Amino acid sequence: MIEFKSVSFRYGAGGEDGRTRNEASLTDVSLTVRDGEFVLLTGPSGCGKTTVLRLINGLIPQFYPGEVTGEVLIDGESNAGRELYDLAPKVGTVFQNPRTQFYNVDTTGELAFGCENRGMPEEEICSRIDETVSRFRIEGLMDRSIFRLSDGEKQKIACASADVSGPGIILLDEPSANLDYGATLALREMILRWRSEGKTIVAAEHRIAYLWDLTDRAVLMKDGRILRELTGAEKDGISEEELTSLGLRSRTTEDPAAIPLPAFSEGDEPILLRDFRFAYPGTKKAVVDLPEMKLAAGEITAVVGCNGAGKTSLLNCLCGLEGRCSGTLEYRGKRYGRRERRRLCFMVMQDTGNQLFTESALDEVLISLPKDEPEPEKRAGELLALLDLEDFAGRHPQSLSGGQKQRLAIACALASGREILLLDEPTSGLDHRHMKETAALFERLRAMGTTLLVVTHDSELIRACCTRRIGIG
Amino acid sequence: MSAPASYSVKAAQEGRRSFLDPRTKLALVLTLALFVLGGLGGERMEPLKTVLSALPFLLLLIEREWKRFLRGCLMLGIGYGLLYAMPYLPRAAGFFALMCGGILTRFVVTVVMGEYLVASTSVSEFISGMERLRMPAAVTIPMSVMFRLFPTIGAEWKSIRRAMGMRGISLGGNRAGEVLEYRMVPMITSSVRIGEELSASALTRGLGAPVKRTNICRIGFRAQDWILLLLCLAAFVFWILGLLGVGI
Repeated sequence: MIEFKSVSFRYGAGGEDGRTRNEASLTDVSLTVRDGEFVLLTGPSGCGKTTVLRLINGLIPQFYPGEVTGEVLIDGESNAGRELYDLAPKVGTVFQNPRTQFYNVDTTGELAFGCENRGMPEEEICSRIDETVSRFRIEGLMDRSIFRLSDGEKQKIACASADVSGPGIILLDEPSANLDYGATLALREMILRWRSEGKTIVAAEHRIAYLWDLTDRAVLMKDGRILRELTGAEKDGISEEELTSLGLRSRTTEDPAAIPLPAFSEGDEPILLRDFRFAYPGTKKAVVDLPEMKLAAGEITAVVGCNGAGKTSLLNCLCGLEGRCSGTLEYRGKRYGRRERRRLCFMVMQDTGNQLFTESALDEVLISLPKDEPEPEKRAGELLALLDLEDFAGRHPQSLSGGQKQRLAIACALASGREILLLDEPTSGLDHRHMKETAALFERLRAMGTTLLVVTHDSELIRACCTRRIGIG
Repeated sequence: MSAPASYSVKAAQEGRRSFLDPRTKLALVLTLALFVLGGLGGERMEPLKTVLSALPFLLLLIEREWKRFLRGCLMLGIGYGLLYAMPYLPRAAGFFALMCGGILTRFVVTVVMGEYLVASTSVSEFISGMERLRMPAAVTIPMSVMFRLFPTIGAEWKSIRRAMGMRGISLGGNRAGEVLEYRMVPMITSSVRIGEELSASALTRGLGAPVKRTNICRIGFRAQDWILLLLCLAAFVFWILGLLGVGI
């Protein structure tokens, strides 16, 4: 059993080192999760749901320091002063980012890791791993390098690795954020198994659709407080409109491949791709193989397909970033080879932080402007204003939020006069409001004559703004 | 007993067992670094050095790391080629050839040995080996993180380089001097983030508990380990004898 007794928390070292005190992340939260219960924590970004999980697994205050008031109890015992390794056998956590939660470089070592740390006898670890592997049917993922797994496969290993430790409590911190439709359903299967085995599960999620019907209770949070708790008939009967008004995503799953949108329709101005082929070094199988494809200029095209189907590779090829990729693009009577495409296309990457290099948002736009721009400062200011970033002109790009970084990268693309904008999973981990804002921004860019190609598995985003859809793989 | 199709981690670990014990690999890296790279012992050690230099290449062949083997041979070949061509070249070019050749012939062997260590050792094997050497956790844990962090940071580096290419920032551009600085900004930010997320995950899984860690991987000295360890020992003995003025 997990109990929160009027818990408040604020991040930061409590003013000891003279740092500014942060806003409270949690305010007076009381919550009881019974053994074997499945509780969903949801709410807009920054509502405090991840903070709740960190208080349960002990990362707060052991790893993320701050001021805790009130009490968190696990099976009647207070978490205060408990070391992380004391909690490890009881609480297993699956994190959001599949790329940064493994300590080992091989999958088998990763599964054994938690038990090895506890000093469990080798025989027992081996039999536990064998059992988990057969229960989750992941024989095919064993003895592999984690650098060769898709994000969906990594998340399976993360779940299995939590399972081998045999904790009574499983915490899920937005585990589906990077997963496509199919991989999300596979994750659902794993959760379903834990559910049937009587584990206590607490999940923090924006994308609530894939587990809404599995949960016993949905806890809606906002600004660090519990707003409402939904159970039974109330939870089953809630309408989509009501969820939207609470700032939540849809509760019904939809396969993005099933949304009826044309790939190209009569009267569209064509962008013709020819002979795009790409295979990773040392492999024969091409991840990108398009003899010919027509894209609609001036439209918002959703690119859908499963994890590892080569969507991101296709974007890299289109931008001319993949030296080993052949292929030409024809647009408005001109042929673009690999190098020319670098001046035509711009990609907003998933890790947007990796494409921002300067010390201020204004500088970032300035270095993108053409050298013959008559009034660079003025033009940069206009572009920042266009993307609602005028108040952040002096801020360090790395200190901006995810959405702001994305908009800054788009400002740079516009500054350098690119006509085709490619976006790689722009709404992963975004709540309903931010997703809607992103959709509205895409509409505005389209109205300005930009062509958008959006790699996404977010059906709600596709519904909200995409006008064309192509499937890959 | 379980059905034949089911997975057995024990059998798999036995099948994946590395040719050498991680401790032997470490001893080899150290020996090569001192004698081949560091040039300890001077002229007298030459014959022994030749034998030692061949080892990493042999080991790569045993582990079927063809690509690494060929790359190593190529680099070494270039190094010796430069040294061979040096006397026939004009002065400036000759000096350059001497420098490059000298660096390559000294460094390549040890670097190849290091590559072999990283490529053929799992994190679990490494930790297990270090523990048997009674290394404190304060040394073992940061070193084991390297196995994980280097490839990850390499991938980040590549992604940043691409992003710069796309933004149109390159060495030939108008801000050439700032390119390196530009690259460091996202690099540092993302390395810090990755490090933090990795640590948080490892800690919630009990890393650092004050108990004796166990390991499911199979390590231990076999005949090949003893032979190579004796060879390393021989190098040290031969060197010390030389220092003491004993001629053999």
